[in-house]
Amino acid sequence: MTVFQIFLLSALSLGAIAVATLAARRAIGRAASAFILLVLGGGIAFAIKPDLTTAIAHRLGINRGTDLLLYILVLAVVYGFIVIYLKLRRVRRELTVLVREIAVREAVRNDRNSARSGGESTTREPASSGRHE
Amino acid sequence: MSFAPTGSEIAPASGDVRISAEVARGTWVVIPVYNEARAVGAVIRGLREHFPNIVCVDDGSSDGTWDVLRAEAPHALRHLVNRGQGAALQTGTTYALRQGAERIAHFDADGQHRVEDLARMVSLVASGACDIALGDRFSGDTSGIPAGRRLLLRAAVLFHRVSSGIQLNDVHNGLRVLSRTAAERIELTADRMAHASEIVDLIARSGLRVSQVPVTIRYTEYSKAKGQNWTGGFRIIFHYLVGKVLR
Repeated sequence: MTVFQIFLLSALSLGAIAVATLAARRAIGRAASAFILLVLGGGIAFAIKPDLTTAIAHRLGINRGTDLLLYILVLAVVYGFIVIYLKLRRVRRELTVLVREIAVREAVRNDRNSARSGGESTTREPASSGRHE
Repeated sequence: MSFAPTGSEIAPASGDVRISAEVARGTWVVIPVYNEARAVGAVIRGLREHFPNIVCVDDGSSDGTWDVLRAEAPHALRHLVNRGQGAALQTGTTYALRQGAERIAHFDADGQHRVEDLARMVSLVASGACDIALGDRFSGDTSGIPAGRRLLLRAAVLFHRVSSGIQLNDVHNGLRVLSRTAAERIELTADRMAHASEIVDLIARSGLRVSQVPVTIRYTEYSKAKGQNWTGGFRIIFHYLVGKVLR
């Protein structure tokens, strides 16, 4: 066993233990933890027997095991970007709603024509938020 | 061109265009403002001679715009962080509708629109002839439009003919008047500049009656520098298409 294999195995095992602990505490969902453990388990298997990747790759019509891992990595990264982008979009939209609500509530009225202002040109008062209508 | 905001029942906006004080009061002019401290004061003063209800939405400016708005705008609203022109328009619209607006007008802060054009569009919507009046800079005098800008806007029109199947002459004109019903039905979710494209789509789907009114855009060095270029155009298309796919 090479030094790198030992490093990889310990890192993956620590990750698996961490995920299992979080799952036990119900900090992450059952489906998510099962998926992550599956990925980590695959990693452990590949770290012990690197030729396994090549065997699977050949089954799928891919020449090298590293290529198989590369393709999986590309798919995972693209998927991750899409998920993050969608989340960012939703957060942006929520931010707009929040900023809008604050703007509407804190509106400054400057009614020069209104009788209430009585000579004073600037009156500062929060506008009606529509609940009276 | 002078016309009293209240008191006189009928007042001319320009030439043969007349709107009553009542129509002017029911019309809420929404102006999205982003770093326009130099221009917006004059725009507001020009408008308030005719329209008492003006809602200025400062979209998180950093140049003293807010101080100008607080002093000049009948209704000044502020986005704490910049959210884009579409978001600012929707904020002003939401506020105006809550205040009981009968009509919503969109007006640009940089002084490129003329109040008399707005008045004509307002009277058209107020008469019930249409639900939405859109400013159309291409059916009037087009001599002042820079060639590059013209080509860019034409490309935008063509794009919409394909994407929405709606035939409009000038899709990216910021001068619009919407009836209360139309404004309630058209809710902008595209925060940035793609809102103009979004409006076209929403109009096409809503079945609201649209009129295109010839207007003149004042192209000054100031407003030209503020307008969109080709890179901006492609960015708009990108945001618009993403928005279309991901509802």
